[in-house]
Amino acid sequence: MINAVLVFNGQGQPRLTKFYTQLDTSIQQRLISEIFTLVSNRPSGACNFLPLPPLLAASGTSHSSSEPHNDVPSLVTYRNYATLYFIVISTSTESPLALLDLIQVYVESLDKLFENVCELDLIFNFETLHAALSEMIVGGVVIETNLDRIVSGVKAQGTVAKRPVNESRGGTLGGGLGMGGTFAWPGR
Amino acid sequence: MGFIPWATSPSSTFEKSLYDLIRGLRNHKGNEREYLQNCLKECRSEVRSQDLDLKATALLKLIYLEMFGHDMSWAAFNVLEVMASPKYHQKRVGYLGAIQSFRTDTEVLMLATNLLKKDLTAASTTTIALPIVTLPHVITPSLALSVLPDLLPRLSHTHPAVRKKTIVTLYRLALVYPETLRAAWPKIKERLMDKAEDPSVTAAIVNVICELGWRRPHDFLPLAPRLFELLVDSGNNWMAIKLIKLFATLTPLEPRLARKLLPPLTEIIRTTPAMSLLYECINGIIQGGILGSGDDADGREEIATLCVNKLRSMIMIDGDANLKYVALLAFNKIVITHPWLVAQQEDVILECIDSTDISIRIKALDLVQGMVDNDNLVSIVSRLMRQLKLASSRDRRVAPNPSGAGPSPGDSDEDDFEGTISPAQGTADQAPPLPDDYKTDVINRILDMCSQNNYGFLDDFEWYIDILSQLVRTAPLPRQINDTETSPPPGKYRIGDISEKIGNEVRNIAVKVQAIRSACVQAAEEIATQLNRDTAGGHSIVSGAMSPVAWVIGEFASELSAPEDSLGLLLRLISRISSPEPLAACLQAAMKVFSLVAGDQLASWTAERKSKILLLMARIVHTCEPLALHPNLEVQERAVEFAELLKLTAEAASGQETSTDTLHQDPPLLLTQAMPLLFAGWELHSVALGAQKNVPLPDGLDLDEPINPNLNYLLSSADSIPIPADEEDEFETYYNQRPPPTSIVSEPAINRLADGRNEVAGSYQQPIEETYLDADILAKRKAERSEKNRDDPFYIGEPSSIHRSSTPIHNILQNSNGPDLDVDSIPIMELDLNRLSADVNKSPAQASKRTKPKPRQKIVIAADENLGNSGQSTPRNYDSENNSDSNAAKARARKLKQSFLAVDSTNIGALNLEGDPDSGAYDPETQQREEAEMARAVKEVERLRLEMQRANERIQVAQGVDAAGTVVVRKKAKKPSKAMVAGDGDQNEAAAEADVVKPAKKKKKKVAPIDDGDGDGGAASAESQGVVKPKKKKKAKPAEIQETA
Repeated sequence: MINAVLVFNGQGQPRLTKFYTQLDTSIQQRLISEIFTLVSNRPSGACNFLPLPPLLAASGTSHSSSEPHNDVPSLVTYRNYATLYFIVISTSTESPLALLDLIQVYVESLDKLFENVCELDLIFNFETLHAALSEMIVGGVVIETNLDRIVSGVKAQGTVAKRPVNESRGGTLGGGLGMGGTFAWPGR
Repeated sequence: MGFIPWATSPSSTFEKSLYDLIRGLRNHKGNEREYLQNCLKECRSEVRSQDLDLKATALLKLIYLEMFGHDMSWAAFNVLEVMASPKYHQKRVGYLGAIQSFRTDTEVLMLATNLLKKDLTAASTTTIALPIVTLPHVITPSLALSVLPDLLPRLSHTHPAVRKKTIVTLYRLALVYPETLRAAWPKIKERLMDKAEDPSVTAAIVNVICELGWRRPHDFLPLAPRLFELLVDSGNNWMAIKLIKLFATLTPLEPRLARKLLPPLTEIIRTTPAMSLLYECINGIIQGGILGSGDDADGREEIATLCVNKLRSMIMIDGDANLKYVALLAFNKIVITHPWLVAQQEDVILECIDSTDISIRIKALDLVQGMVDNDNLVSIVSRLMRQLKLASSRDRRVAPNPSGAGPSPGDSDEDDFEGTISPAQGTADQAPPLPDDYKTDVINRILDMCSQNNYGFLDDFEWYIDILSQLVRTAPLPRQINDTETSPPPGKYRIGDISEKIGNEVRNIAVKVQAIRSACVQAAEEIATQLNRDTAGGHSIVSGAMSPVAWVIGEFASELSAPEDSLGLLLRLISRISSPEPLAACLQAAMKVFSLVAGDQLASWTAERKSKILLLMARIVHTCEPLALHPNLEVQERAVEFAELLKLTAEAASGQETSTDTLHQDPPLLLTQAMPLLFAGWELHSVALGAQKNVPLPDGLDLDEPINPNLNYLLSSADSIPIPADEEDEFETYYNQRPPPTSIVSEPAINRLADGRNEVAGSYQQPIEETYLDADILAKRKAERSEKNRDDPFYIGEPSSIHRSSTPIHNILQNSNGPDLDVDSIPIMELDLNRLSADVNKSPAQASKRTKPKPRQKIVIAADENLGNSGQSTPRNYDSENNSDSNAAKARARKLKQSFLAVDSTNIGALNLEGDPDSGAYDPETQQREEAEMARAVKEVERLRLEMQRANERIQVAQGVDAAGTVVVRKKAKKPSKAMVAGDGDQNEAAAEADVVKPAKKKKKKVAPIDDGDGDGGAASAESQGVVKPKKKKKAKPAEIQETA
């Protein structure tokens, strides 16, 4: 199952935190900063999977790979879109490559909801961010992967706000969050 | 109804919307903290206002701030208020607040039950979705029990979106309250079988079954035909991936499935354009054991080759690191069952160890650890050593801030997130600096690989000692103690422990491998010197390697080349160590070395010797005395004891006349007899971890029985009884004299080692030692070799350094040990209580074993000593973590439970789902559990009722006034004051009763076939045929409640 979905920007400021198991706020923050440290040190061309952050490695059975336990988070997947990092923490029952696609679907659905989404949209509409996520994942289990259904599910809850007019479009994340680029597994 | 937060602007212009808050944060650069505190204060009062709009907005702001780490658990009650709002856009904020901030111990949760139940039965689908989505985050067993009746019917809701969410939520309910499945499973199954069902719902069901599948695969075997159909026909790659994962857990139970699955899987592998599906197919084939040996050998061979080749090409592909990573993941699974298949891929895997990407490195390391054998150990360890060396030299060059700590996101500073788009920091082309965690991990693995199988894969121990010396230098320093205090999770290894582990290895080698002991002791001394030198003046030595190394120096002092220098070193060290454990070890070691230096019985007591020893003693006393006040008892005690002993000895020594040319004087007995006796005795051997447990309990041992009934009399007369002298001698002999070797076991400890054919040395196509050993270690190595080879007629000089690494290992060993080392002359005692008293003769079997030593066996590694039946398993026992007794397993289970983010699903495995319902009913354990559960539930309900009562009063009395409302509720709720309960709140009581009755019905239902309505008919029919005993109990308990209410 999926244990947590996180979104933060290049400075490590969270834009969305969703934990599917309960965790103290302070530990959440530590986990976020640990993952941010890991993510921001990735060399170019590195894979989209992080080693377990110390917080998770210490509590799980990190060294005994021969004895995997399906309840323990063992996979940290991330993708980088313009200024944002999308992170999924999951157990071994999830498929790593499929998770990469899942993040892509999430970003695409946000792009559709906001029309050319940028970080500002997410800051001011973090409620919509949550709404879109809960159309895809409930309780750590994926329930929908179809872009149109996700978008219509969110729209059914009410109109999605545009970014405030007087707010500049900040550091335009040209071409939305720049999706579709290098990582699109054919025939998803 | 838009839900733009700032559109539903509050009435007063002084209040901020979320938009204002965010903008404000961005406009207050520099003093965000102050601004934020003000905002929080405002929110605090706003969230308590009567105006729901204002409340909801304030809550939204709080949720936003919670994301940055500002705790909002204090607002739980306000969250509940907003959840109860009639307006959807407010309700939604409330539910979001609950998701983000409620924990299982949030007491307000009890009050939310009715609201959740009500919203679950709402008319609007969007409203229904809110509690469904929220429940997984807040669910508790009691909540599950009361919500279940309202949640179940949602499975047949007309809207597929509601159905799919319900299915997942039911699964999360089942995790904490397994009985959920009993009621829900038939319905879920029905949905799955329904071919007209919406594909999203089917996919959601498959996802849930996949999660449940590995926990209880047996229950899902009957579904295999339908799942197979979905796999072949659906064309949905997402679902296919999950189905394959599910089948991988089913095939081990039903081998016939494998045959059925193979054709479609092969087909997918050959045709699918989706890499993720391709990968999962391979993965599924591996995990499902389809690779394993079977009837259709040819077909399997073919598929195995296909899979491994695909994986290999995934690693080989340049430019897609993700494929590399997942292929390694897959290999990690194969290596468990099919190590030979992975071993064929050694070349590509070893390449990955040097990848710039740490994720890939770690996975490759996992793999490599499983692949180690005699042939590749040195080459693999060399690679790792080179990595560490490079990293540490880089660390030294770069500024002392290698952690690359970015701006702390804990601060909610809203700074420029728009200007700087290029977050890419650091040097992209160069490998990132290795984090300490990784270094520790690598060192751990090196040690594990080498010590595996009781050092079975290790051919060259001198090389290993050099590796250890090098490792002590590379090992990351332990963190400061106050740092570990802020990190609550107890890690497997504290960082500091790694150097201790290295030190322990040095000690193990010294104890276990006699042939190499002197080299090992030298290395220990060098390590100590090094630590002393490398630690800057004024700092204390913190390396954990110190205490085992000191022990080695002390225990094997006779192997020291210059004991007096070593003593000086130890004394210098003592003054520079602050942590108690190494300090105690050094003290002890210093005394051991001193007793060796001073305790020479034969040398005459000259004036020179006298003054030297007196000086030495004064020095030791000087070092010990400050420690007499050390806070640690162990250190204090040793320091005081040794200091006093030495003072005494000094007195004796100074009084002793020195011998002259004419008169021979013996050195004082205290020095030559008493002191060495303190430390001399039997040689220490390594004892297997569980050996103590194997000591047989003597027959007729009764600890309660007085040993001597006349004890009191004896004690009182003890003073007058003279102890016969010879008895004392017997005592002496028993404890202090080495008994005749009872049995000499030259266990062919490592037969493999003796296999001389494979002359592995020299020809590793791998980095030569210069690349990973420090210069001085290399120099020492070189000197040793030339020394050894000097007498070797077959060794032609020392032409150049090129040959350095090509000296055959066996030559080295042979030369170092002398040409004809007799293995059997090394006594290895077996600790065997049965034979201690028996005669010295060896059993014939052992004797014959001994007569046939392998011709080229050169090194004996003493196996851990053990007793009785477990004697054969010594190598395994050596690794403490493999110790699979139940305690360890339990401890591990407990540990798993503690791990962050993990879902505890231990309960669900115990539930019997598909089986005969009757069998479940007869099972006394299940019954007991059910009863206990019921009792717990009843208690919860009562508590809940009380609390609702309290809360109601609270709301009425203190609304908008009492700032600490929730706190008061908590305190009062704990007192079960019946009188107050009886007072008012009739509706609540009624509601509580309903709560109790409904689940009771559900329980009965599981016996009978479930009918859709909530009607009483089902329950009644169940009653007539159901099990009588548990039901009565269940009925009785609600009745009790009604009485007490």
